[in-house]
Amino acid sequence: MNTRTHPSPETSNRAYAVGLARAFGGALLFALPLLMTMEMWALGFYVHPGRLLLFLALNFLVLVGLSRFGGFERTASLFEDVLDALAAIAVAIIASAAILTLFGILTWDMKLDEIAGKVAIQAVPCSFGAMLARKQLSGGDTSDDEIQAERTAGYAGQLFLMLAGALFLAFNVSPTEEMILISYMMTPWQAFLLILASIAVLDGFVYALGFAGQRDRPQGISWASSFVRFSLVGYGIALLVSLYVLWTFGRSDGIPMAQLAITIVVLAFPAALGAAIARLVV
Amino acid sequence: MAQSSKKAPPREPLLEWISAGIGLVLTLGIMAVIGREALRGETHEPPAIEVVKTAVHRAGTGFVVEVKAINHSGGTAAVVEVEGVLKDGETEVETAGLTFDYVPGHAERRGGLFFTEDPARHTLELRPLGYQRP
Repeated sequence: MNTRTHPSPETSNRAYAVGLARAFGGALLFALPLLMTMEMWALGFYVHPGRLLLFLALNFLVLVGLSRFGGFERTASLFEDVLDALAAIAVAIIASAAILTLFGILTWDMKLDEIAGKVAIQAVPCSFGAMLARKQLSGGDTSDDEIQAERTAGYAGQLFLMLAGALFLAFNVSPTEEMILISYMMTPWQAFLLILASIAVLDGFVYALGFAGQRDRPQGISWASSFVRFSLVGYGIALLVSLYVLWTFGRSDGIPMAQLAITIVVLAFPAALGAAIARLVV
Repeated sequence: MAQSSKKAPPREPLLEWISAGIGLVLTLGIMAVIGREALRGETHEPPAIEVVKTAVHRAGTGFVVEVKAINHSGGTAAVVEVEGVLKDGETEVETAGLTFDYVPGHAERRGGLFFTEDPARHTLELRPLGYQRP
């Protein structure tokens, strides 16, 4: 009945172990800047716990999605994606707890609440890195990449990737005080220009600049249509993700509407970049 | 139909199950701790900070009083100013101060106050002066 021969358990375990090791590498690569950011150490205990929980749950869903489009192991079913997402979280929590302990940021006399908050918030970028590691740190083989490309080609898949990329980059810069400071220093005119620049960057990265993984504009669709369907929608995603991240970190509380709008635009700039890059690299 | 949709089940390596299991346990554990905090809803309480002396040492030309700020509430306080006053009866002999960046809810932070007078020969009063909401 079984015509395909499976690799022996030893070799598949070995291959999986290599994947795990890569995942640790990816977690470090992606999360080290945040592990070394002072605001991130404090966020763990002053972020609203309900919002943190929601963020962790959302992160898990994004991980499952990313696994579909290129986790550290080829997956055949949604169940396997869930397993991969859990493994990525295991790697992320262990890696961030280890590094934070090594840095002396986590100490033994800390309360469990504080430790959990600190590790949980750092586990988000770590898990992203762990999940993307396979794709980025290994060659990948072509036959599987075709299957993956098929999955990625759908419009919903594209939107999801943009969301994941926007979330990662927005999360990367949002903990710092500078996001708020920049929005105070900008005039509305500069904010307006930044919106145009963000959209241009989003469109340019994907279609114009000739990076590896560049996409041709979909055939039979006019420039305007692809611009509206991908780049403009992508910027919309970047805006929403920015608002969500600001809300999660409590940065949107008690800020007047106009100020909040400028802060969102500031954060949406890196988010748009993330959205564009995600479509190239994942 | 059920049979045709059922492909040869791929056998996941044992290591995959183990790491997924660890991930599941860690995720549920961390979410339980944060969830408990969310349910208690204490993060909006005003911080209740007590400052206590833990030790006194000779340091350089003077003395250092090691102190501990204990937050008895769930609300986190930032920029917590602490003042220590040495008193002889009602007269203030010497004042020293320090600022804690953060005293998280139900947590402790340690620091020290420098005095030139010997704290053992006076009465020491320690109190938090104020804080900022993070």
